[in-house]
Formats: sequence, structure tokens, C-alpha cells
Amino acid sequence: MDEKDLIAKSQEGNEEAYGVLVEKYKTKVFNMAYSMTFNREVADDLAQEVFIKAYYALPRFKGKAAFSTWLHQITLNHVRDYLRKSSRMKQVPFEETRGEHSTHEDEAEQRDREHELARRKKLVHKTMATLPPKYRIILSLRDIQGLSYEEISRVLNISSGTVDSRLHRARKMLKKKIMPFFEKEGG
Amino acid sequence: MNCKKAEKLFLRAKDGLLNQAQTKALSTHIDSCPRCQKNRDEYLSIFEVLENTEFPEPKPYFWGRLQPQLKEQKIFDPWQAWKKWGLRAIPLSLILVFVLASALLVLGPPPSEEFSQSGALLFEDTIPLQDTESILDQEGVEDKNMMLIFASLEEQPGSRRPFP
Repeated sequence: MDEKDLIAKSQEGNEEAYGVLVEKYKTKVFNMAYSMTFNREVADDLAQEVFIKAYYALPRFKGKAAFSTWLHQITLNHVRDYLRKSSRMKQVPFEETRGEHSTHEDEAEQRDREHELARRKKLVHKTMATLPPKYRIILSLRDIQGLSYEEISRVLNISSGTVDSRLHRARKMLKKKIMPFFEKEGG
Repeated sequence: MNCKKAEKLFLRAKDGLLNQAQTKALSTHIDSCPRCQKNRDEYLSIFEVLENTEFPEPKPYFWGRLQPQLKEQKIFDPWQAWKKWGLRAIPLSLILVFVLASALLVLGPPPSEEFSQSGALLFEDTIPLQDTESILDQEGVEDKNMMLIFASLEEQPGSRRPFP
């Protein structure tokens, strides 16, 4: 059964067909939520909520855009709402990023480098969590998930020029916030 | 090229948006500017971290956990409920309103026939002096006076003083 059929069946309320779509897209949706929250629990909850929203919005999906783009948009809007709410209330609980455990423990240099990268990763993610949602989102889309300007423009419904300027501002802001920590901790 | 412009171009170069001439101008500037070299290295260290973000797996039994929630939502989803019942309720409520309005028209109380004095003048086309005419037509003065007295008593039933 191809994706079109799965969508059509899901629109009629066929849960089995929707289950296949969920299995196909769950990692993408989860990764998107994770790249903006850096918290597995929160990302998992958000991904579940996105699929519930999408299921009930499916009858209104006309197929003008690709299903993945449509799902991206729902995810983005949902995560954005969450970030707005959580930034009003409290910071998103930051989860320790798993360090990269070297398999070559005898290579001290490699281990040090990986350790340093893990430390910086933690710092970057922590600092990203303090950025305003719109900057966090665009950094996540471009620099973590690697979406093109065109894709970002479509998903966020903004022009390529806006993508360019917002991304520039977001990167500068992140660097400004993070460099004092990099330098202080011997980066 | 100044350092601010170089920073902008460096970030655009990262996204592959520079033409050959811009790339060349940027690299010439960076090669000769220690400040921009430091700036570039700082950005590169951040990009390295971002690009190497590790994504954990979603928690196990994703679909298994989602399915019961779909069923739960199905019961309470307001859009579905509106679609199912709200749209049906529109013609039903219209019919109900029509029936009620007809019932009120048919079974409702008849319009009041008693008018005030001015109402009677307006709606019943009465001549205000019609009653008085019969009194005034009386030839006997006593009869006339008596009739006037009784007529005034009839119009003011509550004006009589209570017996002490």
C-alpha cells in the first residue's frame, strides 16, 4: 500500500493505516521535537501529541503539500506553542546529553577530544534552550536537521530573505551567549 | 571589506550562498585578519557541535502508547462531536423553532380586546362623545343629571371612600 492509500484510509478513520504512517514518520517528528527541546521525555510526549493532532486534522489534509511537509508544519507549530508556554513558565528541563563513549579507550587523545565535544555539546544545547523560540527553531531546522532555505521557508511560511536574516541573527546570538563559557572552561 | 561584512559573508558561505567573487574576497580578508580568523573558528566549533547532535530513539512502544490516546480523543474530540451532532442539530433546531412558533400562534392567548381610552380611539374608531350623546339627548334635566352622576361613578369604581 503506498502513502497516498495509507493517507486516504487514515482519513476514513482506519487506525491500522495510520499506524503505518506513524511508524514511518515517528523518528522525524521526534527528532524535530528533540532538536528544539533536547529532552527525550518532552520530545516523546510532543511527538505523541503531534500524531494525535495530525490524526484529527487528516480529514482536512487536501494533499496540496507533501504529507511530510504538512506533518513538519504541525510538529513545528506544536513545539513552538510548547516552547512559548514553557518559556513563559520555566525553562525547558534540560537533559544531560549522552557523552560519546570512546571504543578506543587506549587512545587518550581521541578520548579527550570526544570528552571535549560532549562538554561543548552540553553547553551549546543548554545555551540554545535560552534563546527565544523563533531563533531556536531556525537554528534547529538549519544547523541541526540540515533543512534547505527553501524547505525552512515552506515549513515556517516565511520568505527566503527572512530565513537568511533570522538565521544570521540566531547564529550571532548563540555565539555571543556561548563563547564566554567556551573560553572560561578552556575551550 | 570590513569585519562585520566578513562575518555575514562567512555565515552565508556556510550555507553555500556565495558566488566565486564573494568567496575569494572573503578568504582574502580572513587570511589577513586575525580577528575574523578567531571569529570563524568560534563559529566552526559551534557548528561542529550542532551538526553532531545525537538523537536518541523515541521511547519504546510508540504506536502502542499512541493508539489508546487516539481512542480516548475520539470520544472527546470537539470537532468530531460537532461534525457528527452539530451539523445534524441545525435542521432539527430549525424545525423545532418552526413548530414552537406555529404552536404559539395557534394556541397562544388571543390578542387583548380591551383598549385604553386613547387605544380605543385609535383602533376601534369610536366616537368619544357617543355615550355622552345619549345623556345629553335627555330632555329632563333631572334625568340628565342622574345619568351623568351614575356615569361618573361607573368610570371610577375605586374612588368611593371606605365606610368609616
